[in-house]
Amino acid sequence: MQIGGDVPANPARFSLAGYGVGLFFVSMALICTLLVQHLFLHPFLFLFFAAVVVSAWLGGTGPGLFAVLLSTLAVDYFFIPPLDSFAVKAPDVAYFSAFVLSALAGSWVSSSQRKSREALRTAHDLLEIHVAERTAELEQANADLRERERQLRMIEHLSRVLTIGELTASIAHEVNQPIAAVVTYGHACLEWLTQDPPNLDEARHAAERIIKDGSRAGAVIGRIQSLYKKEPSTRELLDVNEVIQDLIVFLREETGRHHIDLRTDFAPDLPAVEGDRVQLQQVLQNLVANGIDAMHGSTGRARELWITTAKETSGEVVVKIKDSGVGLSQEVSDRIFQPFFTTKPQGIGLGLSISRSIIESHGGHLSASQNLCGGAIFQFTLPAASSNQHD
Amino acid sequence: MTDRNATIYVIDDDESIRDSLGSLLRSVGFHVEVFASTESFLNFSRHDVSSCLVLDVRLPGSSGMEFQDHLKKAGIEIPIIFITAHGDIPMTSRAIKAGAVEFLTKPFQKDELLEAIDQGLDRDRRHRVEQAEFLALRERLEKLTQREREVMELVVEGLLNKQVASRLGLSEVTVKIHRAHAMQKMQAESLADLVRMVERLKPQSRR
Repeated sequence: MQIGGDVPANPARFSLAGYGVGLFFVSMALICTLLVQHLFLHPFLFLFFAAVVVSAWLGGTGPGLFAVLLSTLAVDYFFIPPLDSFAVKAPDVAYFSAFVLSALAGSWVSSSQRKSREALRTAHDLLEIHVAERTAELEQANADLRERERQLRMIEHLSRVLTIGELTASIAHEVNQPIAAVVTYGHACLEWLTQDPPNLDEARHAAERIIKDGSRAGAVIGRIQSLYKKEPSTRELLDVNEVIQDLIVFLREETGRHHIDLRTDFAPDLPAVEGDRVQLQQVLQNLVANGIDAMHGSTGRARELWITTAKETSGEVVVKIKDSGVGLSQEVSDRIFQPFFTTKPQGIGLGLSISRSIIESHGGHLSASQNLCGGAIFQFTLPAASSNQHD
Repeated sequence: MTDRNATIYVIDDDESIRDSLGSLLRSVGFHVEVFASTESFLNFSRHDVSSCLVLDVRLPGSSGMEFQDHLKKAGIEIPIIFITAHGDIPMTSRAIKAGAVEFLTKPFQKDELLEAIDQGLDRDRRHRVEQAEFLALRERLEKLTQREREVMELVVEGLLNKQVASRLGLSEVTVKIHRAHAMQKMQAESLADLVRMVERLKPQSRR
């Protein structure tokens, strides 16, 4: 039922019900008035006003007027002399008219009050719907923003992780240019000096440039060192499996590009370690890149790269990266962690030495060994967090 | 060992590399022009002397290799010595195949560079001689009459005077006279000499 002032969904049903309400209240008023008429000197007609007002309120203008009509007929028939007749005697015309006018006024006031209340409610409801829509939009926008922010952070993070590989290429170029200039100036300087007579101005110019370019090369190295020292290492409690897992999508992309299967075997319930997430990921990325390079051109053997984690009896966490590549000769494994030692034509031999210093700064140890099934194993240990905190 | 009239062009975007190469090459007696970009090299009006180009592989804008292609397409014949901070084998072989003289990885020694430059200048000189010979031959060819040229073309194909005469509808004596004139105008000492000259003049045999 729509009575009660909600926005009418079905006007036909609503108005019929409104007329029913008019009939009901007027009937009630009539019955009550008939019952109490002997207690008062004049007929107690105020109940009809109440019925009209209530009908107009609940049913609107139509049912209000309907109630006025019913009330008029009932009052005329039962209470205006001659009784039990619709006729009105002359002396009662004024009284009866006053009743009818009052009833009409009551109905008008009530129904117009109701109309304005309904309009207000409709406006209110519309407003609420609007607000709900806008809120939903805002929430969506907020979620989008958070997602974008998350992606940005991810990219930023990955780009920091990638630096060892990219750094080596850029170091090679940045350092090589001034060194090439130094060598060329050195030759030129000697040439100018061996001329007869020696061209001292040109020789001096070359020597000055040797100093300048030598310093330039030194400055590049200095910048790299400060890059690694300045970046304050942020230590937090880490789950090593999770640290690897965070990087795995990227690593898989790298191995996939070289048609290598990346397999993982993570020990459950590893103790937490205290460390710098980004630095550890740099180490992982570097070791995996080495594994990929080691399998370059190897055919026949399965091209697999394993990353495994385990808990040592000493409580340390150990991470192993096993490849099925060319493996390590004794001579190579002796020198592999020395700075600038490399077996790669394009390498400059800093990746492993940087990796080792990162692991050692975490209180762990990075080592290399020959895989009995062919290939190499690089493994590093990290002390469990509780024992590390006493350092 | 160095050709004092030769000009060495250097293109490298690194000022130190450019200046050091300039100093070294001047110290051994070359005339040197250095450029920071390929554009400034192209805008420079080059002297018509034997020359070669020392070109950095990694240049802003177009790479050294692209520039090599560009020069070739533009018909600019100059021997190129590439210098690079990181030469890999595929890159080297590609450059050499495309006609580069040498591919030097920085830092390189004086002798490596000077050897490559000598080689480049030698190649340039040979090219210039060939070019001059070709132009001279073409000049001689232009002096031949239509008939003399026809007779010469058939003679170098290996036809006998008699066959040439019947092919062209001439008498054998007339063919002999045209042939002698052609030989004289082309300054050929023998039939073999003439064959070689005609071969050189064919556009597809030009190197």
